[in-house]
Amino acid sequence: MSQSAMSETYDFLFKFLVIGNAGTGKSCLLHQFIEKKFKDDSNHTIGVEFGSKIINVGGKYVKLQIWDTAGQERFRSVTRSYYRGAAGALLVYDITSRETYNALTNWLTDARMLASQNIVIILCGNKKDLDADREVTFLEASRFAQENELMFLETSALTGENVEEAFVQCARKILNKIESGELDPERMGSGIQYGDAALRQLRSPRRAQAQSAQECGC
Amino acid sequence: MAADVHKKKSWEVPNGSLAPGDGQHAERSESPTPGLAQGTEPGAGQEGAMFVHTRSYEDLTSPEDGAAAARSPEERRGEPAEQSSMEQISKDFSELSTQLTGMALDLDEEMRAGKEGKLEPSPQTARRDSVLSGKEEEDVTMDAWRSHRKHVFVLSEAGKPVYSRYGSEEALSSTMGVMMALVSFLEAEKNAIRSIHADGYKVVFVRRSPLVLVAVARTRQSEQEIAHELLYIYYQILSLLTWTQLNHIFQQKQNYDLRRLLAGSERITDNLLDLMAHDPSFLMGAVRCLPLAASVRDAVSSSLQQAKAKSLVFSILLSGNQLVSLVRKKDQFLHPIDLHLLFNLISSSSSFREGEAWTPICLPKFNSSGFFHAHISYLEQEMDLCLLLVSTDREDFFTVSDCKRRFQERLRRRGVQHALHEALRTPFYSVAQVGIPDLRHFIYKSKSSGLFTSPEIEAPYVQEEEKERLLGLYQYLHSRAHNSSRPLKNIYFTGPRENLLAWVTNAFELYVCYSPLGTKAGAINAVNKLMKWIRKEEDRLFILTPQTY
Repeated sequence: MSQSAMSETYDFLFKFLVIGNAGTGKSCLLHQFIEKKFKDDSNHTIGVEFGSKIINVGGKYVKLQIWDTAGQERFRSVTRSYYRGAAGALLVYDITSRETYNALTNWLTDARMLASQNIVIILCGNKKDLDADREVTFLEASRFAQENELMFLETSALTGENVEEAFVQCARKILNKIESGELDPERMGSGIQYGDAALRQLRSPRRAQAQSAQECGC
Repeated sequence: MAADVHKKKSWEVPNGSLAPGDGQHAERSESPTPGLAQGTEPGAGQEGAMFVHTRSYEDLTSPEDGAAAARSPEERRGEPAEQSSMEQISKDFSELSTQLTGMALDLDEEMRAGKEGKLEPSPQTARRDSVLSGKEEEDVTMDAWRSHRKHVFVLSEAGKPVYSRYGSEEALSSTMGVMMALVSFLEAEKNAIRSIHADGYKVVFVRRSPLVLVAVARTRQSEQEIAHELLYIYYQILSLLTWTQLNHIFQQKQNYDLRRLLAGSERITDNLLDLMAHDPSFLMGAVRCLPLAASVRDAVSSSLQQAKAKSLVFSILLSGNQLVSLVRKKDQFLHPIDLHLLFNLISSSSSFREGEAWTPICLPKFNSSGFFHAHISYLEQEMDLCLLLVSTDREDFFTVSDCKRRFQERLRRRGVQHALHEALRTPFYSVAQVGIPDLRHFIYKSKSSGLFTSPEIEAPYVQEEEKERLLGLYQYLHSRAHNSSRPLKNIYFTGPRENLLAWVTNAFELYVCYSPLGTKAGAINAVNKLMKWIRKEEDRLFILTPQTY
């Protein structure tokens, strides 16, 4: 399979959302994930920004369609309209700002209310590289994550540490849920679509057997 | 009789009936320059206009002059109280003037307390510092803060700070309180404060319920022009919130802290103020086009036109603050002010450089009650070419995103990309191309198309302050030409460092800057030559055939 063909083909498409207060580094996380570079002349995001990338999760190609939202209150109503139909979300706070950590409850309330029940959320404590200015401990945040059934990672958009992991872990959990039958990609508003590759597998009879066997596991 | 005609506010004459205007009357029959009637001047669109017709800035400032006709219906509906109070305002004017003198002294003291005897840093360095360091760090008790040439404050009617150009709003809350006190004090007397002139400062007030906008300026601009800039700031705020939302918020809670909703937008407003000090577009109330061969522009426009979608209202391609192409839905016209706000939004944020942005935006002159959704992206990373697709449907991101892809594909197929690249390499033309030795710079605006053209500002206006000085001279001529009580049609201005000429007709406005050594006769000769040159080059400098979907 050639490089270009590969970039067009994927098994699944997941809709992702990046949320959290303004200035926590959401756009930088996305930029680091997509471009593998730190964006240092960053402005506030206006509205939402769209990005996509195909990743390989346990042998499956997953296209992530990522909506990077603006953190400001002005855009809260816009952000709210993107919860619907999101399969996964990165909930971002800044480890050097307690204010952004305290706002997490509000973001979660929104997400629980507006997103599909099965949305997979990963909590990201960003700016891990600024450990000297830390205001939120790892322990505290990880307890919060446990209580709210979130996955948790501390990330650094500057160094790239744990950035890819955050997206991949979130995607893996969704894949697991699909395989266990907990999530039905066919259901409306799941934020998941079959990709071309998956469809091709469905169409080609030999492979379809394997595919359907997997699906019938539910 | 003839004199009477001239004395009449000539700018009140509408610009023709090509577009639905607000409160326009019939076109004036004769034109002072034969053969250059509305719609036939160089740069006039051949198939109708792209924009809503405006009377440049009078469209904005006329409510301040008591002529409320130019306001959009939305605004008129929303603020009936203000108009009825206008009649009261002219009463007791003598009383007001004595009151004002007293107040001017107070405010002036407030502004300049502790300044005497200290060295004033050059405003230029202070300006640049503030741009670099960001306003948060600025201490409002310092001289540097006081020495800024133009302060702009926005406050709510409860006296709460909304925005300050320099210094933090919190630190200025008492100053803003004083401003609101001034406004309400005069309103209690059924009067309205418009400006205070004292000691080289102009303090200009613009009231747009529920907001009050105040500028404290040491520039040479007229009161009208400063008020015009304040209105731009007001429209900028509307473009983020809509008029409906803004009013709703303050109806619910009078002492609401609007900064919560505007958080993160300070940069956009700062940028708008900086842009207005440099870019003549705002003064002219018109839009500048990127010089481009007509065939290339036509190819771009029709590619843009073909990449349409049901929900698209405007497709705009721009480079820097110059328009490359604009395609609009039939019967929908964009107002130059709205386009300026879009230009400003794009130039104020580098976040659009990557990926695709999708943002709600209100175009206050088009419809101040609702949001459009704009798809904003750069065509190529290194190329300064930004595509703006304005849609009515929030859910239509992927459809609109596909329009961009189709547009790029068509551009490639037509093979105009190379020519476009070339044109972007020289986004400005040199005045030397005109071939008039004494000519230094000019601004020519075609009124019917709402477009203007202007060469690159060259020597001796190299330094930033020199450029601003030149724009200041144009502002001066413009304010004389559009003075509401005594408008002028022709002005010849002889200065120590340059001579200037202004010529305002029904069809066009022309401002020319010459070397100080030329004569008046030479200047008039040059104007004829210049007009011929513009006519010859018009298909490159203007968009003559605007497209619709």
